[in-house]
Amino acid sequence: MAHRSSRTAVGAIKVINVAKEHALPRGERLRVLDDISFEAGDRSFTSILGPSGCGKSTILNLIAGLDQHSSGQISIDGTRIGFVFQQPRLLNWRTVEQNVILPLEQQKYEKHAMRALAAKYLGLVGLAGYENYYPLQLSGGMQQRVAIARALVIDPDILLMDEPFSGLDEITARKLRQQLIRIWQETGKTILFVTHSISESVFLSQQILIVSVKPARIFKRITVDLAYPREYGDLRLFEIETQLTKDFLGMSTE
Amino acid sequence: MTTLPRLLSILALFMAWLLLSLVLPASIVPGPVAVFTALAENIRSGTAFYHLYKTLLRVGLGLVLTMVLGISIGTIMGLSRKGELFLDSWVLVGLTIPAIVNSIICLMWFGLNDRAAIVAIGTAAFPTVSISFWQGIKGIDMQLVSMGQAFRLNRIDIVRKIIFPQLLPQTLASMRSALGICWKICTTVELIGMSSGVGYQLNYWFGLYSTSQVFAWTLLFLLVMFAIEYLLFKPLEKRLTRWRTGVPGLQWAQ
Repeated sequence: MAHRSSRTAVGAIKVINVAKEHALPRGERLRVLDDISFEAGDRSFTSILGPSGCGKSTILNLIAGLDQHSSGQISIDGTRIGFVFQQPRLLNWRTVEQNVILPLEQQKYEKHAMRALAAKYLGLVGLAGYENYYPLQLSGGMQQRVAIARALVIDPDILLMDEPFSGLDEITARKLRQQLIRIWQETGKTILFVTHSISESVFLSQQILIVSVKPARIFKRITVDLAYPREYGDLRLFEIETQLTKDFLGMSTE
Repeated sequence: MTTLPRLLSILALFMAWLLLSLVLPASIVPGPVAVFTALAENIRSGTAFYHLYKTLLRVGLGLVLTMVLGISIGTIMGLSRKGELFLDSWVLVGLTIPAIVNSIICLMWFGLNDRAAIVAIGTAAFPTVSISFWQGIKGIDMQLVSMGQAFRLNRIDIVRKIIFPQLLPQTLASMRSALGICWKICTTVELIGMSSGVGYQLNYWFGLYSTSQVFAWTLLFLLVMFAIEYLLFKPLEKRLTRWRTGVPGLQWAQ
């Protein structure tokens, strides 16, 4: 498979009336997702915002094909999907470089081509020179950057991110958010980002989908029409955050 | 840094032996000179090699049988709840029956031959390996497996690159303890039913009440164990667990 330097394919995601039920013992069914519909355009940045345990991650798993939905339709333009999890999920016995090339190993790449790609994406996440480190030698933030490089190395059409910064301290998380925006602008990926942090979703996204709890429904859809890169402390961000917080409180008392 | 305390510890053991041999009569604790002379004589005459070879052969094949049985049973127990319910009493029985019973029964079934020794070793030593593997399989990080699925790794690669490396430390540790058990059982079998091997020699010299020869054979045994530990297990362990401590010369990154 050739590695594309510039993408012509599009990475749009279309989710239509998707529901997901789990079978419980005694034949009951638990509905975790209910009538989820949204669209994310090519090269867009969309956040799915909701409280912990509401089923946000399930939406990503369905799109990645890790799980099956019960009804509805999911259509994706593009075949390659990169996934960044809440924990870095690196293979600790492999070096940073070997971790990054893991998704490439099945694709008949030459060794030097894989190493070149690893170097490229490690450079992009600011980890040039760390190729031969082992994950346990790195801080949590650096490990998560390795995970981001691993997701990017397959040149995905779509990048799915499941609360990737929630396990990090706020200062590290802020730096990584800024880096992510820079990477997004440089690579033009379609990013679908799950978070429970209102400020994070406002800082990052063009579109925010607020999801309610049990079963998860899209409660509200918001577009954030501010130019990138955005600044922490920007009052316009703060206003949107305030409004979103009100929406959230309204949602939980319903 | 680690060699000095080790050398000191061996030296201390040697000194204790030397002191005891000076205080007690030679028929009870023979001195190093007498013991090393006996050992040298055994090596010169070739008896040491012959009996050591027989013992090593039985231990080696017994260890193979132990690992095959232990890993298979442990894997079935780890993968299937039914398998666990079916097999855990076997493991308990295996753990409870004294190794000498295995030895006697195998000698009665198979006769006084190598096969009896190997089967006795394998059946007596497998439970510890099974238990270790059973726990190891239950401890496999499924998050890493789903990472592999998200990056479209095929089943073989998931087993080879994600599951197998997680079981490797377990395999090594259980093989090490199994080897110790195999040695002990082998000497027992040789003592009661064989006409060759280190255990047979120990019994023979016990009959002649030659403490220095009993010590000499024990010493030979120890030397071989040390050689296996330091030439095989320690370097292997170091190589396989490099990632835990990191690469020498690299600092921990911030």
